[in-house]
Amino acid sequence: MTDLNYILETVLLLAAPFIPVIAGLLLRRKFASAEGAPRTGVQKAGRLTGNILLWGGVLGILFMILLLFHFSGKL
Amino acid sequence: MKELRLLLFSLTLALAGSSAFAAGPVAWGLEDYASEFKLFSETKTFDKASWAALPAQEQERELTLARNPAAARLAAVRGWHAAAMRKWNTRELKGYTAGIKEKDLQSAELWLGRAAAAELKKKLELVRAALKKAPAEGLNNDDVLALAPHLTPEAVNDLRAMRAAAALTPGKKTADPKSASTAALEKFSASLPANDPAAVAKFFDGSNARGDAAVNFPGAAQASRAQAGGQAAALKAAPATQVKAKVPAPLPQQKAVEPVKSSAWTSDAYGITIETAQGKQSFRDTRAAEAAIRQMPAASVKKITLYGHGSPGMQLVGPSQFDALYTAELLDGKMAKDGVIQFAGCNTASIGGATLNPAVGISMVARRLLYFSLPYWQDRMDGVPADQAKQQWEKEWDADLARDTSTLVKGAVVCGYRTFGLVPGRLPGLTRVMGNQEATTPGYVAGKKACYRDGQEVAAQ
Repeated sequence: MTDLNYILETVLLLAAPFIPVIAGLLLRRKFASAEGAPRTGVQKAGRLTGNILLWGGVLGILFMILLLFHFSGKL
Repeated sequence: MKELRLLLFSLTLALAGSSAFAAGPVAWGLEDYASEFKLFSETKTFDKASWAALPAQEQERELTLARNPAAARLAAVRGWHAAAMRKWNTRELKGYTAGIKEKDLQSAELWLGRAAAAELKKKLELVRAALKKAPAEGLNNDDVLALAPHLTPEAVNDLRAMRAAAALTPGKKTADPKSASTAALEKFSASLPANDPAAVAKFFDGSNARGDAAVNFPGAAQASRAQAGGQAAALKAAPATQVKAKVPAPLPQQKAVEPVKSSAWTSDAYGITIETAQGKQSFRDTRAAEAAIRQMPAASVKKITLYGHGSPGMQLVGPSQFDALYTAELLDGKMAKDGVIQFAGCNTASIGGATLNPAVGISMVARRLLYFSLPYWQDRMDGVPADQAKQQWEKEWDADLARDTSTLVKGAVVCGYRTFGLVPGRLPGLTRVMGNQEATTPGYVAGKKACYRDGQEVAAQ
């Protein structure tokens, strides 16, 4: 049971940086405007939030990679 | 009234006399300034005649300027001598016997006295003679007894095996199909740091993580001993340059520590910086730093920064490790009132409470993964029971070095980082641009700092 808990925890921890990336992609898709049509205010806000989450998440993943290098003594 | 006048007159005379005495010339070699005069002699800044020609005020200024460099130099030579007087392993034997020159012994004599230099000279002569005798005649029991106080048992065994190895060596080299791989293996094993589990771990996986109880490798040593002549090969392969055989070079007098310019792409920055009323001193050699701290008067350290890699409960400064107990023992009574001990390494404080800062959050996730999940699963794979592994790592991963140290060093403010600390100057490439590959201070650190006094959190300093 202890192992099962920690497997779940490890999976969740590893997935954590990907959650904002996925959420950002979904938001960008959800608030995409029709081709050529001007974006409404809601669409603009939705896409902005999506972009922040996406690129924040990407930066988070890069940060984790940096920490891994640091941990292994490469930095 | 008359008594009062007499008293005032006497006081005036005494004050005038003392000021005249303070402003008087200082005799060359005066015991109170022994270290400073040794530095002048070694660096050939002054001799007896040129010193006597200096005006008294100039002498005073020179002595003041030389105080810190002289103390640092004394600490460096003392540290070097102490290391050289310990039992040598095979690698050190090779390094010291080849590296120590007459000049180094002269430096030891100047700074530490004739007895200390003679002690080292005697050891050196004994080992050099044994090294000469071992392959030709072999060592007898008397030789082994004489060497025992100076060499590790492995080094003595290696010396004894030289005769057997010499007998086995053919006069002419025969073509050995495995010679290339053997040579490669010898080169590899020679580059392994001996008798230092932490260094061995670092060599293999570059890991600075803690949780490494001292581990010896008796199996490996026995396997090595089993090979006839292997020791002699190790003795030959042991590179002399890995051992600091020479007395450290004199410090440039009256010159502040400057960051070393290096062309390397990655960083190897670490060091100890001590701030006192006399000024700031930075050390890359942690032994010299420790020796300097031990010599400092009580309550004199205003701030000390230990810079290097950190992990929960442990600060590394180059090859040295500082945990709460060791740091407290080193700084016992040395910290000034409200003095600051700064651990400039990642995760040297506990994680603390919840936060909305995503950068702090991701650092916390990484800490849990690296210092709990990873070692937990490693232990489980090694067959450690789940409960035992859980108990061990749940305790370790959130250890708080800063708080633990603050409970031991009463009155001092002890700071650490709750997160991984990103130092821009350590980034590959940027290190090269900034030329601070061997910096002894971190500069700006992107991380969440926490400070404690007597175990209670205080404002970050």
